[in-house]
Amino acid sequence: MKDLIDRKTWEAVRHYGGAATEEYYRRLKENRLCATRCDACGHVAFPPRDFCPKCWAKAVSWVDLPKTGTLFAFTTQERVLRFAAPEVIGLVEVEGAGRLFAHIDAPFESLRLGMEMELGFVEISAELTVPKFRPRTS
Amino acid sequence: MKPLITGVGAVPVRRQLERSARDTATAVALQAIGDAGLEPGEIDGLFVTPPGLSGPPGFMWSCAFAHHLGLTTKAQALVECGGMTAALALRSALDAVTLGRSRAALVVALDARVVDVPENPEDVMGFVENAVVGLVGLYGPYDALFGVGAPIPYYAMCAQRYLFEHQATEEDLARVAVTLRANAVDNPLAEHRKPITVADVLASRPVSPPLKRLDCSTFSSGAAAVVVTAEPLSRRSKGPPVAVTGIGEHHVPAHFGDRRASWTRFESAESAARQAFSEAGRTPGDVDLAELYGVFTATELILYEDLGFFPKGEAARAVREGLTSGRGRTMMNPSGGRLSLGHPAGATPLYAAVEVVQQLRGACGPRQVAGAKVGLVHAEHGMLDGSFVAILEGA
Repeated sequence: MKDLIDRKTWEAVRHYGGAATEEYYRRLKENRLCATRCDACGHVAFPPRDFCPKCWAKAVSWVDLPKTGTLFAFTTQERVLRFAAPEVIGLVEVEGAGRLFAHIDAPFESLRLGMEMELGFVEISAELTVPKFRPRTS
Repeated sequence: MKPLITGVGAVPVRRQLERSARDTATAVALQAIGDAGLEPGEIDGLFVTPPGLSGPPGFMWSCAFAHHLGLTTKAQALVECGGMTAALALRSALDAVTLGRSRAALVVALDARVVDVPENPEDVMGFVENAVVGLVGLYGPYDALFGVGAPIPYYAMCAQRYLFEHQATEEDLARVAVTLRANAVDNPLAEHRKPITVADVLASRPVSPPLKRLDCSTFSSGAAAVVVTAEPLSRRSKGPPVAVTGIGEHHVPAHFGDRRASWTRFESAESAARQAFSEAGRTPGDVDLAELYGVFTATELILYEDLGFFPKGEAARAVREGLTSGRGRTMMNPSGGRLSLGHPAGATPLYAAVEVVQQLRGACGPRQVAGAKVGLVHAEHGMLDGSFVAILEGA
């Protein structure tokens, strides 16, 4: 069943995503969380695009995002496909890129709004690695 | 041509449809056509929603349904835009009549939202395949990979921000659910009519903190229909016709929450309301009743503020003081709203329109808002990424 879910997920990611989405996940496999920055206006787009959704210039460059951020909001969801329920998810404010929706690798009770968070990665299938955050330790 | 709403129909909101999608849609359509004083042969426009937003595909449903009803039309479409779907089907009918393309347009919105995992193991694989692809399509190739299966976590984080930014409490949220439930007691169309207390809400099962079971609307099924006509057909209406005097619509480029904007104040709702009030020459203070797309308790509070009924951060106090239950102010969701009427998402905005029309006609019996002259319908999609507001008044 996991093989089927993984295969269908990857097919769907390619269908509803595209070239920029595949490049985003290729970089995540290398444990790099990236966005695209417009060569013309400097707008950082997340999720990444192969054009600028602010000024619609065609030339954009890939940039690595900061490895830390602050916790904007968090909750749990009771029915999940790949993580142990109830899964903690949240929005982490990353400078320059807005808030990233991600898995939170910490108990719900340990979290506070505004906490400093640090980036990590979790491989969910052969093709797909996704970002996660946990409270910053250092 | 000036379009008027002259006929309405609806079946009670329930967990599942009592009859098939086609037979349910047919029943509400014929009810609305009869209410408008028309014969089906006089309908020349048809706007439908998919036959279940989370169900099987609705490809060519408007064609199949027109065939089934025996309708010849000059304007026809299936409309889809998430939670705003039925509102935009209604707007399409109003536009078609305004432009003279249709003289009597029928809007039929239906949803059958409860999707059970198949019992037969051979069917489970196919079910999972469809679900996986569907969820990536719906929540996008980023968020979906975290297992999002319903929009509840987004609204839960929105609720968390509201409590944090406005020093509101979970009791404040609970009071919204209690107030709406009291409204639904006298509504035979409502799915949930048994009165509840703040303690019941607080003790209900946590779903996504801070939201508990009774802070959330239910996945429901139902269908509603509206007939929009031009003169002279409007004169045949059995009840007093209702005019749509202002419409506002605003979509921001976001999907399930703008990741750079506020999560407690929504540009789409504020802008759509401003447009609608301006077009109608009305202010929030003129509105006798409003049917809002508040699918969670915290969203209700945010909408009371963003649509202009209360200053930012004051909606919880307004609910506590009974100001959202009439008392000389706007009556919020006399139907029971999404939390108690039930929430067949693809049809919800049309249920809202049906309630407002019936209130403006004075046809709501024990839940009638006394002297109702001006009503408001709101709908949204995503997490308030888009909003629709219409002002309705007796013609």
